[in-house]
Amino acid sequence: MGIYDIILKRIKEIQSKTKEDEPVTNISTSSMLAAEITLISSLIVASIMLRFINKALMMVAVLILILIAVIAMPIMPKLRKEQSDSFSNMLFYMILALGIIITLFYWGSVNV
Amino acid sequence: MNPLIPLMVILPIACALLLNLLHKKDRTVKVLAIVVALVLPIIPLLASYGLHFFGGYYPLSENSAIAGGLPSYITNSALNVFHPAITYSFESAQKIMIFILGLIAFLAIFTSLNETKRPSGVYAFLMFMGTASVTAILLSDDIFNLYVFFEIAAISQVGIVIASGVKKNYETALKYMILGNIAAPMLLLGVAFLLGVTGNVNITDIIYSIKNGIVSPQNPVLLMACGLIVFGWLYGSGLPPFHTIKSALYSKALPHGAALLQAFSVFTFVGLGIIIIRIFSYLPFSKIVIIVISLLAMILGVTMALMQNDIKRIIGYLAVGELGYIGLGLGIGTAFGITAGLFQALNEAIITAFLFLGFGTVLYITKKSDTRKLGGMMIETPKLALVVLLAGFAMAGVPPLNAFQSKLMLIQASIQAEVPELGIIMILISIVTFMTFMRAFYTIYMRPKPPELQITNKNIPKATIISLLVLLAICIILGLYPKIATNYLQVLANSLV
Repeated sequence: MGIYDIILKRIKEIQSKTKEDEPVTNISTSSMLAAEITLISSLIVASIMLRFINKALMMVAVLILILIAVIAMPIMPKLRKEQSDSFSNMLFYMILALGIIITLFYWGSVNV
Repeated sequence: MNPLIPLMVILPIACALLLNLLHKKDRTVKVLAIVVALVLPIIPLLASYGLHFFGGYYPLSENSAIAGGLPSYITNSALNVFHPAITYSFESAQKIMIFILGLIAFLAIFTSLNETKRPSGVYAFLMFMGTASVTAILLSDDIFNLYVFFEIAAISQVGIVIASGVKKNYETALKYMILGNIAAPMLLLGVAFLLGVTGNVNITDIIYSIKNGIVSPQNPVLLMACGLIVFGWLYGSGLPPFHTIKSALYSKALPHGAALLQAFSVFTFVGLGIIIIRIFSYLPFSKIVIIVISLLAMILGVTMALMQNDIKRIIGYLAVGELGYIGLGLGIGTAFGITAGLFQALNEAIITAFLFLGFGTVLYITKKSDTRKLGGMMIETPKLALVVLLAGFAMAGVPPLNAFQSKLMLIQASIQAEVPELGIIMILISIVTFMTFMRAFYTIYMRPKPPELQITNKNIPKATIISLLVLLAICIILGLYPKIATNYLQVLANSLV
């Protein structure tokens, strides 16, 4: 089964769970495939920047990312569900972001 | 003191209030709104650079009449240089940014007044109030004053969405307000912490206190303040995790409203981003956070845009993605990188407004924004299709349009800063941006027209076409002569390094 078919299957699974009735078209599946490739490639290229901290860490991070990408693929249908207009999701990610930012600035800068 | 500096904020506020008093006098409202909106981009061109001290309260070092009567332990201390009143700073970067903001406000107001049958109402009031607030954010050197206008800008944005009459707009506006009720107080708390530690709300004075050892730069309260202000910045500009609600907000506004809303986001992003760099650049962590958030905005923005079916939502997500480029410029931290980032901010504000107004013509003639229900618009509006195509080319960074210059500068800056990975990601995201735009363009203009699609308004107002042509002209001019903008921005960039 190719990536295209896997994505198509996953979109249909999620649609049946969320009771969406929009048709799965060639354009929507191709877009999701393009988004999938963009997401994975951008994250891998971004993780190369960890070389500024430690080269070994960079290599481990890149390998882990590739592994996650292979295992969890396709990621985009799940990400799309998470990034929906659901208010509870928005609140969750907002509080999470606040926690991460405060932790990084407060403890990160004090202990560096 | 230059009276034109406060006038940039006072005039739109006064006009907004006056428009309310003239309610139901449609012709007067239309003429007044267009005249004042036309003046908005002209004032920054006429104003001379400098500081404006509200109430005439100069620092003691510049006020010999008061300083002469004070004991030496005051005049020899830091109090001598502190700013006792709210201060507005108008330099070359503010000049070009307020000019572009004023121009977009004018085009949005001009288009909206000609597209709506009844110009009288709260819509123009909100547009003027929002423009005044964001202008104040760009001018203010007082962080508390900035917060007040930040809140007014947020309320104006909610109002613009509520006044749009688009389906489900109330729900989105309410969500944005509730999220704002959490995020904006965090920004205020950050300001309060800064005031508590430094005893000051003037940004220049806060920096003076930190640089001269009056306050310990590693004070934990100061670090917490930085985190909270960064969080408020994410909300104001629609960076992750607020990208979903911000793009939803754009999609629930009318196209001219959305064009202005995104300009508010871009200039709030720049205004607060510069303040974060000015105060907290001594923390290496601050630049890393800016880069990480910008990368997330780019990746999430463009990937989510690829999966949308609503035209306004697509542009909304693309706008969020483009914000990331500005952030990368600021995060790279070199003078060249910051100049490129600020130039990208100007370009993004222009191009996204261009795209909203351009695709807005499709919404105007069909009353539909769902790409699945659209098609065949190339036959209906062939000339406008070409203009919209050029807008998309501009956003993707196709030469000789303006974003090509700023994106090229950003990539060069990333290579010079020895972070070529950022350049690679920028190129990748540009390609996907182009693909996303072409997908929307194909489904709306090039695909056969669905039989059930009806053209409800055949005639597009001339005001809309004029606005589109003005924006196209700016894209071409800035693409061919980028120095027109970068010369203004370079001074600020050099001062931030």
